[in-house]
Amino acid sequence: MREIDLLTEFSQKAGTEIDLKNIKIDDTTLRDGEQTAGVVFANDEKIYIAKMLDKVGVHQIEAGIPTMGGDEKEAIKKIASLGLSCSVLGWNRAVKSDIDASVECGVDAVAVSISSSDIHIEQKLRKSREWVLESVKTSVDYAKSFNLYVSVNAEDASRSDMEFLLKFARTARDAGADRLRYCDTLGILDPFETFMRVKNIIDIIGMDIEMHTHNDFGMAIANAIAGIKAGAIYVNTTINGLGERAGNAAFEELVMALKYIEGVDLGFNTTLFRTLSEYVARASDRILPTWKPIVGSNLFVYESESKASGILSNPETYELFNENDVGLERKVILGKYSGVNTITYKMGLLGIKIKRKEAEELAEIIRDKTISFKRALFDSEIIDTYKSYKGRSGKSKEAKRKVSDGNNKK
Amino acid sequence: MAITKSKRYVNIIDTTLRNGEQTAGVVFSKHEKIRIAKMLDEIGIPEIEIGTPSLGAAEREIIKEIVKDSFNSKLFVYCEAEPENIEYAVQCGAENVIINISTSDIHLKEKYKKNKTWVINKLKETIRVARQNNLNFIVSAEDATRTDLGFLLKLISIAKKKDAYRFRICDTVSKFDPFRTFLYISTISNATNFPLEVYNHNDFGMATANGIAAIRGSAVSLVVSVGGLGEGTGNAAMEEIVMALKYLEDIELGIETSKFREIAEYVARASSRAIPVWKAIVGTNVFAHESGIHADGVIKNPKNYEVFNPSEVGLTRQLVVGKHSGSHTILHKFKEFDIELTDKQANEILTLARAMSIDLKRPLFEKELMYIYNEYSKKNKSRKEQEVES
Repeated sequence: MREIDLLTEFSQKAGTEIDLKNIKIDDTTLRDGEQTAGVVFANDEKIYIAKMLDKVGVHQIEAGIPTMGGDEKEAIKKIASLGLSCSVLGWNRAVKSDIDASVECGVDAVAVSISSSDIHIEQKLRKSREWVLESVKTSVDYAKSFNLYVSVNAEDASRSDMEFLLKFARTARDAGADRLRYCDTLGILDPFETFMRVKNIIDIIGMDIEMHTHNDFGMAIANAIAGIKAGAIYVNTTINGLGERAGNAAFEELVMALKYIEGVDLGFNTTLFRTLSEYVARASDRILPTWKPIVGSNLFVYESESKASGILSNPETYELFNENDVGLERKVILGKYSGVNTITYKMGLLGIKIKRKEAEELAEIIRDKTISFKRALFDSEIIDTYKSYKGRSGKSKEAKRKVSDGNNKK
Repeated sequence: MAITKSKRYVNIIDTTLRNGEQTAGVVFSKHEKIRIAKMLDEIGIPEIEIGTPSLGAAEREIIKEIVKDSFNSKLFVYCEAEPENIEYAVQCGAENVIINISTSDIHLKEKYKKNKTWVINKLKETIRVARQNNLNFIVSAEDATRTDLGFLLKLISIAKKKDAYRFRICDTVSKFDPFRTFLYISTISNATNFPLEVYNHNDFGMATANGIAAIRGSAVSLVVSVGGLGEGTGNAAMEEIVMALKYLEDIELGIETSKFREIAEYVARASSRAIPVWKAIVGTNVFAHESGIHADGVIKNPKNYEVFNPSEVGLTRQLVVGKHSGSHTILHKFKEFDIELTDKQANEILTLARAMSIDLKRPLFEKELMYIYNEYSKKNKSRKEQEVES
């Protein structure tokens, strides 16, 4: 019962008290997205994606990792010099030379990233907590000396000791950092845990928080929203959720969830979402699943009688937004689950008006066909099916006529 | 602050064979349906929705055949609330049915063009036939999250009075986030004290999170499907729910997770939908590491970047060499080929490998890495020889 009471309190708080205005998106398709095992963008692709993100309305673009040098550095330099409306951020380890590379690229913001969990500090960095705090302080100081906007990224924050994480945040804040990025690096939080932890940091330290969530257990979007409800104002997203392992919070899903579930309209140009998603899918050589939330090509395709019956009467029966809102198309196809209403409508689109009885009979024929084809029917197959069905039901007359013709010849 | 998570039993009911197949464009063959049912049974899924009897003779034949076989899983068939549909279920030999009916005002007005009394009567009529035939039944409220709460509670009390097995609440249009799901389910659960089951869609990427929120709100059962296959964006993915319950909520269902990849592959082929390499839990890329920072961490200790072992879901770990690789990955990779590199060699090979990866716009195959190494050693050798000659 105690658990329920606590969570009810949190849920109510999350539902009402929080002001969701001034939410900002920091898109990291070009950094964490490209860091995905197997993904490489060409420089021109990076520049094109940056331009599109800006056009859609993103507030900040994480353009890459300047210290990698070479092509990567060139691309970031180019993006920073495009004169975009959004801020351009370079990603750095908490190391001076990394920040120098960012400064050379001409970005206006930097992320300074360092792990805050004991497991990462001991096993990966092979250093101490004190060393971590010292690195945060020196690198923020250094970045601030160039008048840059500074985000301090607490990598693996979700596995960090809360006391130490608070110390980490305080160190960052006191050194002049503009925000703290809370990284659920392994995607191990659920929305309730996320809410409580982020709220805790905000209540105690009182600095701007950015959510960086991963989708390992399918929670990336829900956790980002939980963070916002707890008072975070930035979210780190990627187009299509592109990112290491199971990926990050998908940009298009977050924007639409904010708009249609939480009632926060960021004013983005959502009609470009499909185009943007397709472009990133191609550039990252990863197909866009037809069922991908928000932008999948199958989302406004209806086959089953139960859904089609509602949709044909009023799309709001099954849809919270329109296909045009995200640059998709609506379609009705005929398959195993189609029934009278679906078939009558589809035939109408194909220019054939049919009666209810015909629709009932056709439904069975079409169902058998789709089962043997193991797929929905093409329009041409539907027309062909209808023609042979009409041929069959008109056969008796036809047959008689032929017989009499024959008789005449004799 | 910490919340004690109660150890308790959670049921899952898999609908891959019903709502999964109902996805526009997806059709399973008889053989596939039977195979998928058996696979789900074998790994210990407690309940399975196997099909829709009213869909015609072919579907009924498949259902009959599955029902005849011996399963540990409890098998359900799906019926829109209509007495005739129950008769079809009985013809198939089904013992457990789901009786579905839309309950929201908008569905009543636009889909049924009927009123609430009609819904109540239709439901009662259908339940009566189910009871006459001694069927065990779940009552399912479609679009429940857009339904007037008073009306929903009334339907639940009818289900309770008629000894329904459970009541299913469908978030048909993905209207809720996890917080509202939690509040809604815990409120209803407190008010009715009746076992609730929750059905989620993934329209905004929150199906799994909402499922977990429902469990925290004291729902007892979740509707899932393999790979999340389902109409539109699909349902809560079975593998995600099982692993999230285990690793995030400390609720162990005792399911044989090491078969997850295999089942996901089978369903992907049968539904002609490839598993995205980044699919949570079962995607091949979930345990692939390329970036210097991650790969280095994983080499030192997998726990740096992995919550569970890849073999737990039937996957394998991969270290990928590409644009973002670091020298530790190179050292480690070549150790696998029995070649010990010095740090200097590793750094020089890394530079060559990164350049090649950028040029090819993809990571390198192991063979390509060897070509780089061979050319690199040849060049070094000839350079050394020249040095010796001069």
